Amino acid sequence: MNPSTSNQSSNRSGNTAASDAAESTLRLVASLSAPDGLEERVQAALKSAPRAGQILAWPTLARPVSGWGRAAAAAAICFVVAGGGWGVVARLQPGQAGSAKGPGLASPAGLSSSGAMRTPQTLHRPVVPAAVANPVIATAQSAQPVHHRNKPSAAGKVVAQSIPGEAK
Amino acid sequence: MSASQTIFAGWMEIPESSVRDQTRQFADEEALAALVSQYAATLYRVAYSVLRNPADAEDAVQEAFLRVLRHRDSLAEVRDQRVWLIRIVWNIVLDRKRRAKTRPETDDVTELARVLPSDGLTAEQIASAAQHHAHVLACVDQLPTKEREVLMLSAFEELNSVEIASVLGITESSVRSRLFRARNLMAGLLEHSRSLR
Repeated sequence: MNPSTSNQSSNRSGNTAASDAAESTLRLVASLSAPDGLEERVQAALKSAPRAGQILAWPTLARPVSGWGRAAAAAAICFVVAGGGWGVVARLQPGQAGSAKGPGLASPAGLSSSGAMRTPQTLHRPVVPAAVANPVIATAQSAQPVHHRNKPSAAGKVVAQSIPGEAK
Repeated sequence: MSASQTIFAGWMEIPESSVRDQTRQFADEEALAALVSQYAATLYRVAYSVLRNPADAEDAVQEAFLRVLRHRDSLAEVRDQRVWLIRIVWNIVLDRKRRAKTRPETDDVTELARVLPSDGLTAEQIASAAQHHAHVLACVDQLPTKEREVLMLSAFEELNSVEIASVLGITESSVRSRLFRARNLMAGLLEHSRSLR
């Protein structure tokens, strides 16, 4: 026998033995018996399963005898729906008195200012505080006539203010 | 009898069509019960071979029969109910396994030793056999999906290659070629693991 041929055949037999071992394990797992009471549990699950809904039958008197009855019922439903829709549309014709109307714009160019005038914000002018006068000069000045400039304060009172340049 | 009473009596009346529906429903239920008693065990074994968890396998069987209940109107059109049911449960278990991605229970050697038959074996022999089977199953899990599926279904004596092809939705020649590849791959995996020891 050729050595390579014998090696191949031994490999093949080894492969077969290995795969046989694998298949015997799988067969063992596949032949395991089902647990007791499996059928009963499945039957119980099937009985408790929700059933499909059933359609109510027509009452004896109202049961349509032929296709004409069904067609008449369908036509009546269509008539009622179309009539109702027509009634709503007829009441809401545009331009008719009493019809609903949306609010219009006051000015065609956009929003108006309602006659309001814009006034700019103004600042109070700066007020120079009264200078601390020398007591000697102040007494000298008290003898002389003093020019006062009367000006209104922010509170509206008349404030006497001495001007240093005019003291001499 | 006034008109309203007549109408009310009409509502209460059981129409003939509903009687026919009920009769058909009872017939369907009987047919379904017969299917359960005939194939529940087979479906359980198919489910267990994939999921390897008794509770999950039982759930899969129940789900399969619930699906049959939903499609009971087309039950009469099914040519081979056994293969049809196996195909249903096969799809369910594959879907469950894909979604769960959990470790199968039989990775645990102790659990496998508990489940597998051990008549006339000593405790040591049982432990050794369980270890061997767990190792083989681990190698099976390493196979490519297509080859693994064919190899697992071929372990069922009830299924020939035509029926396996029908369950998997492939041709019979594909089943044979995949089975050949699976056996070779399996032998290689087992040899490799043996050489590593």
